[in-house]
Amino acid sequence: MIVCGGGHAGCEAALAAARMGASTLLLSGNLDTLAQMSCNPAIGGQAKGQMVREIDALGGEMALNTDVTGIQFRLLNESKGAAVQSPRAQCDKKAYQFRMKQTLELQPGLRIFQAIVTDIVASNGNLLMVRTGQGDAFVGKTVVLTTGTFLRGLMHIGLNKSEGGRLGDFAVRELSGALERLGIGLKRLKTGTPPRVLGSSLDFSLMEEQKGDKVPTLFAFHDTRGDGDLFHMERPGLSRPGWPPGSVALSCWMTYTTGETARLVRENVHRSAMYSGEIRGVGARYCPSIEDKFVRFADKPRHLLFLEPEGRATEEYYINGLSTSLPMEVQTALVRSVPGLEKAVILRPAYAVEYDYAPPTQLLPSLESKKVPNLFFAGQINGTSGYEEAAAQGLVAGVNAANKALGREPMIIGRHEGYIGVLIDDLVTKGTNEPYRMFTSRAEHRLLFNHGSAELRLARHAEANGLLPPERVARIRRKAARIGHWVALLETERSGAGQGTFADAIRRAPAALSVLTGLPQDFVNETEAIKSEVLYRVAYKGYLERERRQIERLAHTEKIKIPAGFDFMAVRGLRKECALKLSELRPQTLAQAGRVSGVNPPDIGILMVALEAARRGTASSSPTTDCAEP
Amino acid sequence: MTATQPVNDTIAAPATPRGASALAVIRVSGPAGRRLFEAVFGRPPPAPRVICRADYKDVSGRVLDDTLATFFQSPKSYTGEDGFEISAHGNPLIVQLILNDLVKRGCRVAEPGEFTRRAFLAGRLDLSQAEAVADLIHARSERALQSAGRQLRGGLGRQLDGLSDQLLHAVAQVEAHIDFPEEDLPDEDLRQLAGTVGEVLRGTRRLLATQTYGDLLRDGIRVILLGAPNVGKSSLLNRLAGRDRALVSPEPGTTRDFIEEPVLLGGHLLRLMDTAGFNPAPGAIERLGMEKAAGEAAAAHLFLWVVDARQAAAPPALPPEISGRLTPDNALVLFNKADLSPVRQAAALPCPAFWVSALTGEGLGKAQAALAGLAERLEPETLDGEAIAINARHADALRRANEALSLAAQKLEAGDTSVLLASDLREALDAIGEIMGKLDNERVLDRIFSTFCIGK
Repeated sequence: MIVCGGGHAGCEAALAAARMGASTLLLSGNLDTLAQMSCNPAIGGQAKGQMVREIDALGGEMALNTDVTGIQFRLLNESKGAAVQSPRAQCDKKAYQFRMKQTLELQPGLRIFQAIVTDIVASNGNLLMVRTGQGDAFVGKTVVLTTGTFLRGLMHIGLNKSEGGRLGDFAVRELSGALERLGIGLKRLKTGTPPRVLGSSLDFSLMEEQKGDKVPTLFAFHDTRGDGDLFHMERPGLSRPGWPPGSVALSCWMTYTTGETARLVRENVHRSAMYSGEIRGVGARYCPSIEDKFVRFADKPRHLLFLEPEGRATEEYYINGLSTSLPMEVQTALVRSVPGLEKAVILRPAYAVEYDYAPPTQLLPSLESKKVPNLFFAGQINGTSGYEEAAAQGLVAGVNAANKALGREPMIIGRHEGYIGVLIDDLVTKGTNEPYRMFTSRAEHRLLFNHGSAELRLARHAEANGLLPPERVARIRRKAARIGHWVALLETERSGAGQGTFADAIRRAPAALSVLTGLPQDFVNETEAIKSEVLYRVAYKGYLERERRQIERLAHTEKIKIPAGFDFMAVRGLRKECALKLSELRPQTLAQAGRVSGVNPPDIGILMVALEAARRGTASSSPTTDCAEP
Repeated sequence: MTATQPVNDTIAAPATPRGASALAVIRVSGPAGRRLFEAVFGRPPPAPRVICRADYKDVSGRVLDDTLATFFQSPKSYTGEDGFEISAHGNPLIVQLILNDLVKRGCRVAEPGEFTRRAFLAGRLDLSQAEAVADLIHARSERALQSAGRQLRGGLGRQLDGLSDQLLHAVAQVEAHIDFPEEDLPDEDLRQLAGTVGEVLRGTRRLLATQTYGDLLRDGIRVILLGAPNVGKSSLLNRLAGRDRALVSPEPGTTRDFIEEPVLLGGHLLRLMDTAGFNPAPGAIERLGMEKAAGEAAAAHLFLWVVDARQAAAPPALPPEISGRLTPDNALVLFNKADLSPVRQAAALPCPAFWVSALTGEGLGKAQAALAGLAERLEPETLDGEAIAINARHADALRRANEALSLAAQKLEAGDTSVLLASDLREALDAIGEIMGKLDNERVLDRIFSTFCIGK
């Protein structure tokens, strides 16, 4: 199996496939930029943090890599309820990359090789062959494409344009044509990144400090950070000049744009690549450039900026919130109009980048192309944004490419099982017109997706696909059993304080969840992970049951499969527009068909009958008839 | 929620066309069939397919009708599931009450053609009938869609649009703070949120009370008889009700309290309410009666303004708060004692007028038909089986929205803006979405991004 691309998606894909026993090759244009954080130096945050824990639950690497190389950890949303609390970490960018590179190097069954893939063709029946810029060719049973922003990547700084998927990197021109020849449709998207500045040129006394949590919330379910670990960035003993003794976590810093910033943007907006019509690709609404912010929200006087350290061994800072495609001289003035940044030295300019993506409705839920069998897609080529979204898809694509190569069934994670399920279902069912980012509000069952439950929710997939060592699966099963035991006990045992069971008492005062007075000592002695999951399930029982009931009601239609060659146009009674839409999208289950916009309950009713008729028609020529009274 | 209807819940629907008839049949099918049978009839089912006579009692224990019930046991039933059929009296009101009650007990109103679809899926119909089943679903859903469309293009649709927009705004406020905790957002305005939720809650309550027809059906359409003393209001009421209920006397002002009489007219339950006449110089007791009449008039759906035919050219004025409400859509003028009035000249009045005589019965037929016409217009939908189903579904959805909004209001009261508040608000939005067409998550995100400057 071959993975083309070594970003967050490619690394997860290659590791997952190799760990499942597939002989795997990862090709990347530059082995020094494996797992590079091209934008901000942080992992996690809203919904993404939960997704990284899900990646860990499925044996992925992102969580471990973040825990080890993190330089500041924070748990977001503490006041909004456990379901939407999300871990977030600032990482040491270089350490993150190099630890990942070493992990790939040490992985049995995986080879990495520096080469730019320029062509892909079907070869010898079901095999796929990729050709590289050096003229080599590799043949695999399955191929995963994780090209990021490199396909016909075009960078903009003001009116200046240059080819490349990332500043300092190359673009891949030829592969787009190869994909189009295979019948895969491509479109353009755009993203952008802010300037990086030199820390020693900043005046932090004019900014507000944002410290990390004293006790980090880790992403992986088991803390594997070791003192001797070369890449462990928070290990004791490491310190920097000018930092308080004993401090191991770095801080972020908050500051705001000023009236001068606004004036500069307004006066120069015509010189921005975005506003001069140079860029045709679509950008994301949640990731606006500073031009967008001042133009679209003109009445908002100032905008919040975060300075994020890019690493422990560098002075480079990322200005979160100042993404722009204005010309260089305007960028300098812009940066220096911000308190604390008056004398800032820019190390790297901000820029926008346009690139090709393949609208993901062309994919099956396994992330395999509908058009080209054995070709899988993951990451930004599917129209997503974000390291976490990329890694999640990479993992799923890698697992399924390995499954396909090994002749096994694909792993499909349901919308009710986790953010990864929502992500992939949204992509393949609805598609996206802007870089897609995960939000908790995209998940209808997010109350079930508290980050601590990820390994419980996904254990069955991890086990079925051999993604975790058997001893870890056994440990998860034991944990699940303990949780079940305690939930049942708290629901039935009467609390000493009178007034019903322990569960009643917890639900009466859910705010006091952490106060465990009066609970059985054996329970108090359990691990934090078990206790918090038990208390969560007890406190929010009513809401969680409501979610489960909704899931159960839909479970039936999830099970009704639509055969690959099913002819929607031939279904009598099905509205034409509905049949056309379904023919194009080719949903795999009735539930997926129901999620397609514009498909109504009567359409599903008709489809249900047609599917049953098709099933009976092929199952037996003589229909079962013990027809009863009308 | 998605567009997909589950197939493992219990459904109910009338099996006979809407309208007054001798009998009306309501079918129930699904796993809760046996439990529901026991709940509504207060007895276990007799042997399958044996008819029994039983009172249908609603959740509050009130007898809705004396019915015949037949239980069918899985797999030997039309749908292959447990279920039963209720033969009730053929009064649309009774059918609607029973259906509403079944929904309250957890049934879902069946999708068009769903019984037949279930029968097919359960293998009760053979393969050759598949196309016929699809045609049936198609035809019935088209009809249902048309009548729903008519309804939603009207006042109900406009009101729901407004409510769902307000709710969307509230959801966006709450969701923005959940999904973008790191952004520089203005603080949540709890008072404003509580205000919005309260307003939507009042809106859905108002819709439930006035637009869903459910209350009209349960309580009847309130028709109030107004007019000066001794114009024959009570005699007319007796005529319309077909019996002597109101005390009738030639002495003006005999009716001081309320007389109320239920009347079934063209399939509608009307509550005819006789009032004290509006006397410019009343006695003390009469004044009490008149005040009460004015109060009742405020809650009336329809008005019958009774005028002595001999005063038709210059009818005595009604109190302005009442006369101001009379329109051709909600009122009729009855020139009573037409038998005593050879001259038939009438003043210009705000609503259609009829010359009638409570004594001889003259003109009453026409007046009744006109009254039935007004009652018809009060209903939000034309009356066929599908339309009832839609109405029950709307009411069910609005009730769920109400419940969720009440929970949200409590949370706001307590200062709780957690994800559970969002969960309640979205439950309400989803419920309204079941009537209006689903608002998908994208709409919520659109609203967040257009309201707040999000992004780093």
